[in-house]
Amino acid sequence: MIFNFKLLEYSLSSLWRRKEKNIALIIVYALVIATLGSVLLLTHALKIEAVTTLTAAPEIVVQRTQGGRHELIPVTYAETIEGFPGVGKVIPRVWGYYYDSLVKANLTLIGIEGYQEQLELLEGHFPQSPDECVIGSGVAAAFGPQIGDLLVLEDSSKRRSEFRVTGVFHAASNLLTNDLVVLQEAALREFFAMPDGLATDLTVQVYNSREISTIAKKIAYFLPDSRPITREELLHTYDSLFNWRSGMMLAVFASALMAFLILAWDRATGISAEEKREIGILKALGWETSHVLGAKLREALLISLTAFIAGLLLAWLHVFVLGAPLLVPLLKGWSVLFPTFDLPRVVDLYQLTVLACVTILPYLACTLIPAWKAASSDPDDVMRG
Amino acid sequence: MILHPGILALLLGSTLILLMLLVAGGVALRILRYWNADSGSATQLQLERQTWLVSTLLKYAFGFQIITLFLFLFTLEEIHPLFVGAMCATGSLNANLVGWLVLLVKIGLVFAAAFWLAINYLDQRTEDTPLVRFKYVTLLLLIPLVALDLWLQWEYFSGLRPQMITSCCGSLFSAEGEGVISTLAGLPVEQAIPLFFAVVLLYAILLLASLRWRAMLLRNLLFVVSVLLFFVSLAALVSFLSLYIYQMPSHQCPFDMLQGHYYYIGYPIYLGLFMATLFAMLPGLCRPLATTPSLERELKRSEPTWLRLALFGLILFLVTSCWQMVFGPLILLGY
Amino acid sequence: MNADIHNGGPLIRIDEVSKIYHHDKPDEVRALQNISLELFPGEVVALTGPSGSGKSTLLSLIGCMARPTSGTIYLQERRISRLPEAFLARIRRESFGFVFQQYHLLRDVSVLDNLMFPLYPAALPFMVMRERALALLEKFTLSNKQKTKVRQLSGGEQQRVALARALMADPPIIIADEPTAHLDAELSSELLGILTELHAEGRTIIIASHDPVVYRSPLISRRIALRHGKLVDENQAAGAEQ
Repeated sequence: MIFNFKLLEYSLSSLWRRKEKNIALIIVYALVIATLGSVLLLTHALKIEAVTTLTAAPEIVVQRTQGGRHELIPVTYAETIEGFPGVGKVIPRVWGYYYDSLVKANLTLIGIEGYQEQLELLEGHFPQSPDECVIGSGVAAAFGPQIGDLLVLEDSSKRRSEFRVTGVFHAASNLLTNDLVVLQEAALREFFAMPDGLATDLTVQVYNSREISTIAKKIAYFLPDSRPITREELLHTYDSLFNWRSGMMLAVFASALMAFLILAWDRATGISAEEKREIGILKALGWETSHVLGAKLREALLISLTAFIAGLLLAWLHVFVLGAPLLVPLLKGWSVLFPTFDLPRVVDLYQLTVLACVTILPYLACTLIPAWKAASSDPDDVMRG
Repeated sequence: MILHPGILALLLGSTLILLMLLVAGGVALRILRYWNADSGSATQLQLERQTWLVSTLLKYAFGFQIITLFLFLFTLEEIHPLFVGAMCATGSLNANLVGWLVLLVKIGLVFAAAFWLAINYLDQRTEDTPLVRFKYVTLLLLIPLVALDLWLQWEYFSGLRPQMITSCCGSLFSAEGEGVISTLAGLPVEQAIPLFFAVVLLYAILLLASLRWRAMLLRNLLFVVSVLLFFVSLAALVSFLSLYIYQMPSHQCPFDMLQGHYYYIGYPIYLGLFMATLFAMLPGLCRPLATTPSLERELKRSEPTWLRLALFGLILFLVTSCWQMVFGPLILLGY
Repeated sequence: MNADIHNGGPLIRIDEVSKIYHHDKPDEVRALQNISLELFPGEVVALTGPSGSGKSTLLSLIGCMARPTSGTIYLQERRISRLPEAFLARIRRESFGFVFQQYHLLRDVSVLDNLMFPLYPAALPFMVMRERALALLEKFTLSNKQKTKVRQLSGGEQQRVALARALMADPPIIIADEPTAHLDAELSSELLGILTELHAEGRTIIIASHDPVVYRSPLISRRIALRHGKLVDENQAAGAEQ
């Protein structure tokens, strides 16, 4: 124990004596860790955000498919489903996508009826007449209208419809309201030219969460052209998506890691003449190869840990304080309206472990052979001049 | 599936281990070919220096292997939400049965590497290093095992399909299920408890006797009993110890106790069990190898330390796993 | 003064030892050829000979820094010539104190650390080591320089640091390679005074030097002459150098 402490002290002294080289290395190392760390922290935060949001989603959403494609669903299906035991309210939803080619934004238009309780307003009120609307903050930012202004949309027959904005959603809420425009259902049906008796999908309330998959199976059985999607499945999809994105970005940034490792190897092998001399002297005076190796490897560990902590702090600052400006462009989907919500500041032990494994283990492995080469020098050479 | 960051980290870690072992193997081949302890030639000196490289590579590989074992368990827990019906790591393993093999190989590798390092330690403390050939041949045998570990992990992770319906520990570790594990779990508590403690007692007696007397027979018996202890303890954990730890009469998963909501109690439990098993196996394992006086001397010096470490491991394991049984509110017998 | 000092066998026995560098290569050097020698406890031995005669190589072999290509070396009847490197290092650490020609101090490291670092592998508690180092610095009147970096010291001061370092492990054998090479007459005689003191404490001292001040000093109990890697008669060697 004492011995290990002494070796550690020697390692610190040795690192400090060559501080220019070591500090430069630590900085580069920390930047690499910060990059990878940012990726992990950001995707994890987004995942948590999405999952939290989804807990408010309906237990089951029922769509209708024909020939494998999505079709409008008859509202009468709702009555059938409501008849199943354990099912609460079944609400038909009218909603759809709208692409504005000028602003290049994808909006989601939704009818108010089935959706009221799940939305939070920043200010204003829900549409109380067919020509009123409530918009998400991303829409407000992209299109410009504030409360009292008009939002102009063009339907499929090139007819312009104007809606007065009566409310804007809270910006900090979540992924789902950013690009929303809420209209009265009748107005929306007219806009989409959707006949009465049909809806986009049905939301199903299930009292007991353990029954969800059973009821979903029942729905699929009794209504063969329907496709029930459970909340669980949505969560799985989000999870997979974020894992995939996270993994992919990691794989991409792996090249940065590789470049760093080559640098680390090069630096470790390019041991200075002074350092070689020092090791030679210590060995001549009684240090064994294992002691020198132990000191060198402690140095590597000290460098790794310092860089890891620094890199992690940088990543945290980048993602949670600055909003990840360098990574967000890579994560944007198909729309310009990327939500600028506050990311939940979650740091997960698992993420940290993964980051440590991916950044520290390769560095240690990389410096092993150069450290051994340095430690293997012959004390005889010192004696001979 | 493979693009999950944790999985990437695992595959990277195992690849590093394989690379290190391959380098060590290359050196081992040279050493086996040219080693001549009596020579003062430059080649011999170079080989001697290279033995340090091999030692260090193996120490690192061992450390990395332990890390990847825990990362594997951690990842299993992390990905379980992707599988319908999975409630914990067990569900992830059941989604692709190769996973159980991965676990087995990883644990086996940890033991194998530990043995190698112990033998290397003994050998390097002697002046004549008589175990050189033995060491490097066994090292070469480790390489296929490491390659197998990597390949099995690849097979496991690439064969996972999210949305697969899998069973969780509730059905696997329950008495109604099929298979070895369910049989273990279904062992009646009234018999399982005395069996477990009987083995522990036998182990403790042999351990203390080995500390007192130097007979080879004691060490051989201890070797056998420690292997028995390992498997019986795992069975006991599944069968009843986990019930006390989770304070639930039906939760028998051996992996959940590694998670934060159970205060990571699984770590000291498994660490204690591992120490108790490994260090008690070492004397019996190393005795047949101590063919020279130098090795006998070193073994004599190291044995008491190993046995004491085994004792410490046993105490750690018993205290952490049985604490709830003794002090907790759950009462099983009679349930 | 001579072999009567010992109370038993030789301290170091060198038996038919040869050392060849770069064996079988174009730049092969036969540094020592079939040397046999015995050194007894309490002796002060001077190794003399022109440069290239093998003095440094012989010192290396005696000091366990290298292994002979052939032949055997015994330290107190223990065969050390074929020991693994770890054992040799330990013997070096515990039994020998070295004073090199170029001192070989760590220049960017403080005087105190120069004394302590080499002994870190020893199973000695840190505070004990530190006390010993401070006591030695006191003895060599370097106490006020303990935190100074070696590169800021004068030649004579560095010499004293090198000596202090050699004594840290309290070794029974001191090996010095051309210790007066960079010293003037006054410092040289000061050095010899210190060596006399060490000898009085019962240590065995082996000095390689072609400085007449050293090898003609009354301190020396025996002179060994080397030429082209072989032992030669002392008078012959002395005659050749005049």
